[in-house]
Amino acid sequence: MTERHGIPDMDDPWGRLPAYSEAREFIGGASRTFAADVWLRFRRKFTSILGLFLILIVSLFAFVGPFFTRFSYEDQNLEYVNIPPFFRAIECGGGLYHITPGLKLIRLEDGGRLSGAVNKVSADQAAKSAVFDDGGKKLVMDYSSRPYSLLDGEGRRAESTLFVRNMTYPLGSDSLGRDMMARLMYGARVSLLVALTAALANLVIGVFFGSVSAYCGGSVDAVMMRVVDIISTLPLTLYVILIMVFLDAGMTGIVVALGTVYWVNMARVVRGEILSLKGRDFVLASRTIGSSSAVILVRHLIPNAMGSILVTLTMLIPQAIFMEAFLSFIGLGIPAPLASLGTMCSDALGMLRSSPYQLFEPAFLICALTFGFNFMGDGLRDAMDPKLRK
Amino acid sequence: MLRYAIKRTAMSILTMFALICLTFIMMHAIPGGPFTSDRGLSPSVEAALNEKYHLGDSVLVQLRHYMKDLARGDLGVSYQYRGKSVNDFITSGFPVSGRLGCAAIVFVLLTSVPLGVTAALKNGRWQDMAVMGIATLGVTIPSFVMATMLIYIFSYRLAILPTLGASSWKGYILPTIALGGYSMAFLARLIRSSLLEVMGQDYIRTARSKGISEFRVVTRHALRNALIPVITVLGPTMANLLTGSFVVESIFAMPGLGIHFVSGISNRDYTTIMGMTIFYATFLIAIVFIVDIFYCLIDPRIKYD
Repeated sequence: MTERHGIPDMDDPWGRLPAYSEAREFIGGASRTFAADVWLRFRRKFTSILGLFLILIVSLFAFVGPFFTRFSYEDQNLEYVNIPPFFRAIECGGGLYHITPGLKLIRLEDGGRLSGAVNKVSADQAAKSAVFDDGGKKLVMDYSSRPYSLLDGEGRRAESTLFVRNMTYPLGSDSLGRDMMARLMYGARVSLLVALTAALANLVIGVFFGSVSAYCGGSVDAVMMRVVDIISTLPLTLYVILIMVFLDAGMTGIVVALGTVYWVNMARVVRGEILSLKGRDFVLASRTIGSSSAVILVRHLIPNAMGSILVTLTMLIPQAIFMEAFLSFIGLGIPAPLASLGTMCSDALGMLRSSPYQLFEPAFLICALTFGFNFMGDGLRDAMDPKLRK
Repeated sequence: MLRYAIKRTAMSILTMFALICLTFIMMHAIPGGPFTSDRGLSPSVEAALNEKYHLGDSVLVQLRHYMKDLARGDLGVSYQYRGKSVNDFITSGFPVSGRLGCAAIVFVLLTSVPLGVTAALKNGRWQDMAVMGIATLGVTIPSFVMATMLIYIFSYRLAILPTLGASSWKGYILPTIALGGYSMAFLARLIRSSLLEVMGQDYIRTARSKGISEFRVVTRHALRNALIPVITVLGPTMANLLTGSFVVESIFAMPGLGIHFVSGISNRDYTTIMGMTIFYATFLIAIVFIVDIFYCLIDPRIKYD
């Protein structure tokens, strides 16, 4: 790129020029496209790259992950309920066993794969012990004191315990014996899709409303902006809840509710941009060659406002994810057996004391997503408009 | 100024009116009457009930009745709990929610200002990094995740604070943090950036050159101006705290307004949803109104339009 004209590269503006160069007096670099320029500034900031990376990782997990799991989000196995990703295993009588919080005995194979529950023969509630029979081998579970222990046929207490990784369910199983990982993938997918569609719906409404308002100006603008003012004083959370009650919980309900509420900010941003753009000469030029208003708006004005629109959009997505999780949490979200990250959190609430991982995993994903989108939005804003940098 | 106040009042009333109509019509558009249940009332009883609550009339007539009741401060009866009115829910729940809300506001202001100021004054150093780290975490963690994490750490692991209840002051600590966390982080970031901007102004240099101590420069000259943007976001912050309380109250089982609202939603108790929405909305709109007027009084540079 630099060699052709002898023009210094902007990445190394103080580099030595060739001795005989036609362009010795020329100050500047090869012209870059807007996108390349933005990318150059974007990648300089560690946090924006981190944000982009987080979003990519979670999206891969959500959309590609399901091809590599053995279970679907609704497969359930009531034998394996609430089994954490890491657990205590007891070696007893030549076999490896795990005692669940529900006092079931689970046989383990190859150091961590679950291979079925052991048959319970009898239980003595008073002495807090239970007798199990594993293929003719007698095992006694003693749950009178924590940690629970296991005795073999001759009454010898098993000494060696070890922590093993759950090979069947790498992220554990939930309270109905479903694979947490498959459900997390599914939940992340639902949350992302809901947030993206809602953000896109807001984008369309907001851009349309804002651009028409700014382009028409005058009394149309005044009326449209009064509408925006009124909507922005409405408590939006309440409004979303009302729509959800009205439409009934479900995917469409949530998308409609979120998609029709948060466009006000977008409309304001777009209006501001277009107001400042519409007096420019290129608009006049376009009008002189006879372009219609629609063409001017769609071909000239909106593309020029794309930077701020994109930034507002990336900031809208985490808001939608938050709101979806919030709605699911208060019982207005995705109905069972479907899952979103919010419903998974709210399902896990009851098991917080015994199986906290069921809450931590979806909560971690929500945080990673909002983190990612916030960082990326910040980075994009800085990259698109360096003047705005704080 | 007066014109602005009048305009804002008119706007608020218009918004309230739109919201009441919208809420009412939406709740009435849902199929099924309030007395259609599987218990099966006898037709004469149902007719009498419909007569009593004007349910036989057209929606517009019902709306007029509802508005009339609203003007007297009567939000109607609950369709799910016998003998309870929506007003009962509000009078029993408001003290708890109000205490929680006030505690959260105080917590937010008491923590965000020092954090933001520290970060701005130590710009670029580890204190700044630490505060910004906390603030970034704060704005990305949803309140229900924060609440449950707090319960897990402080109630289950460390066992020093109760998980629920509004019976003692200790029960308010975790809900306050969970509720105020987001706003605290948001405000700390805002205060940091606005103070950074102010500290670069000429009048700060002038103040320093007069020989005033740095402490006085910050508190008397810089902070006063730096806090103006904070007042603008106080309205939305209060709104955030108020709606955030739905989740926080139900997680910590506090008998506040939020829990009635959430249980109203899950019981499909339409009068309660309607009444609570209107109550919340009035409250919020009033707060935003007061904050806006206050803002104009504080900053004479603002345009009244």
